[in-house]
Amino acid sequence: MSLAAEAFVSQIAAAEPWPENATLYQPLKEDQILLSDCASSLAVQAYLRMCGLPVQVRCRANAEYMSPSGKVPFIHVGNQVISELGPIVQFTKAKGHSLSDGLDDVQRAEMKAYMELVNNMLLTAELYIQWCDDNTAAEWEIRRKMSAVGWAGKSLEQVYEDVSQCCQALSQRLGTQPYFFNKQPTELDALVFGHIFTILTTRLTNDELADRIKAYSNLLAFCRRIEQSYFDEQDKDGQSGSSRFSKGPSLI
Amino acid sequence: MAAPLELYCWKGDWGLPSVDIDCLTVLAYAKFAGAPLKVHKIANPWRSPTGTLPALKTREEGSLSQPSKIIIHLRKQKYNADYDLSAKEGADTLAFVSLLEEKLLPALIYTLWVDSKNYVDVTRCWYAENIPFPLNFLLPNRMHGQQLEKLRLVRGDPTLEPGEEIEKELYRDALECLTLLSQRLGSHKFFFGDSPSSLDAYVFGHLAPLLKIKLPSGKLQQHLNSLDNLRQFCTNILVLYFPSEGRDIPNRKMSVHTDGSDFDNEPHKRRNQILSALFAMGAMLGYAILTGIVTIKRTHPQEALVSAGHDDGGEDDED
Repeated sequence: MSLAAEAFVSQIAAAEPWPENATLYQPLKEDQILLSDCASSLAVQAYLRMCGLPVQVRCRANAEYMSPSGKVPFIHVGNQVISELGPIVQFTKAKGHSLSDGLDDVQRAEMKAYMELVNNMLLTAELYIQWCDDNTAAEWEIRRKMSAVGWAGKSLEQVYEDVSQCCQALSQRLGTQPYFFNKQPTELDALVFGHIFTILTTRLTNDELADRIKAYSNLLAFCRRIEQSYFDEQDKDGQSGSSRFSKGPSLI
Repeated sequence: MAAPLELYCWKGDWGLPSVDIDCLTVLAYAKFAGAPLKVHKIANPWRSPTGTLPALKTREEGSLSQPSKIIIHLRKQKYNADYDLSAKEGADTLAFVSLLEEKLLPALIYTLWVDSKNYVDVTRCWYAENIPFPLNFLLPNRMHGQQLEKLRLVRGDPTLEPGEEIEKELYRDALECLTLLSQRLGSHKFFFGDSPSSLDAYVFGHLAPLLKIKLPSGKLQQHLNSLDNLRQFCTNILVLYFPSEGRDIPNRKMSVHTDGSDFDNEPHKRRNQILSALFAMGAMLGYAILTGIVTIKRTHPQEALVSAGHDDGGEDDED
């Protein structure tokens, strides 16, 4: 989103409360959805649920074209459309919902840094692995991005190493706390959940990545905790029109 | 005792040990970890073992280019500036380095290589003056293309062009990153206690050029200057670990060819003159031969037969 549009959206956002019919759009789940898109979508859903903001999930084959920035997922709230976690967090903040208000400056700096770590390592790894797995989806674009960030020369083994390193960092930061900043979840928790859960539950040709993550038991417990706290009550609702988030087996 | 490792770096200027971000990162880390390095400061990347700078020549693993790989290698050789860090601090290092690469580096690339005023007046000028002939005609533009391409890919926008909109977005992210770094550093001397670690090396490598290189379009610089603790952090490291660089500042002016720089270039100037003269003579001679103003008599029997058979290209054979 351009700066002017963002400022405009923030002003409008502040005016109206969160409507009941807010909708999240993501690509269809079968073959077309990229691992990274799935993770991003899950992260946004987790964040909104943590804020207590209801949202329906709709899968559309042409979701990328519907999105104003071309990026998925995006949410349709009232008469505004906002895509990607960062702008969505800003948007909800303008409406008075924020998970990170209670953090002090140092903690906020750490939170942003860890979010960049996830984007840098996990997101790029997901793109790389997806590219290795099925060489069809937007292949040349991914390859160019890989060479820009210095990943073109990496072997699959090195990518797994990087993911392990990232998970180790996350695991060490989490420690024995329930969430990254102790008692309350923040957007960092939503982002980490989105990515780790997606990697663990998506069936790839090679399970090595999932196995490596499973080595970090506190991360597994963290994912289960979020799944139980924020996603399980969906089972009781009769929301049949929209697809639910769970792609395959759950962690429990 | 093993022979010291050899490091090839871009040379320095403006009071910095090197003008390049990655080189600065590696140099700073080596100082922090007490690694004995033989440093070759050059201005010709083709002389480096990998063709790019920085490059560390190792005995076991060939030559390494990426700062992260170089730092890992030094750690393996027991030069470890992160020895005292806790597990959490190690994790924080990884996170903050990601923050630097994602939020600050694109803006740095923009301000040094893409912003037209800065690129033409400062960056290209410096590289053209310091890279030896004839690469100084070729490399700066090529590097400019590479950096623009890198920026496009990192931002996911293949049509990115310099402009106000993209500049605002990049600088906004960078400003936020600088503020976050400042908040994290607080009033401490280094990011993790009293002795510097690899994170300090990365932050120094990214901030020092922004602090020291005088840029005409300096919005990003101004913001950094307003963050006292970060400015102090960089100056501190320069004073403590690179005290000899401060002497270079008076000689380097960006656009003036003073007597000082003429003296430096004297041997090259003579060589350049001779080469230019030779090239010009060769060109004129070639032209003359091709158009037939001058012919070279050949005495091969086949040639005589051929020229007797049909018209030569040379019209001026009979004047």
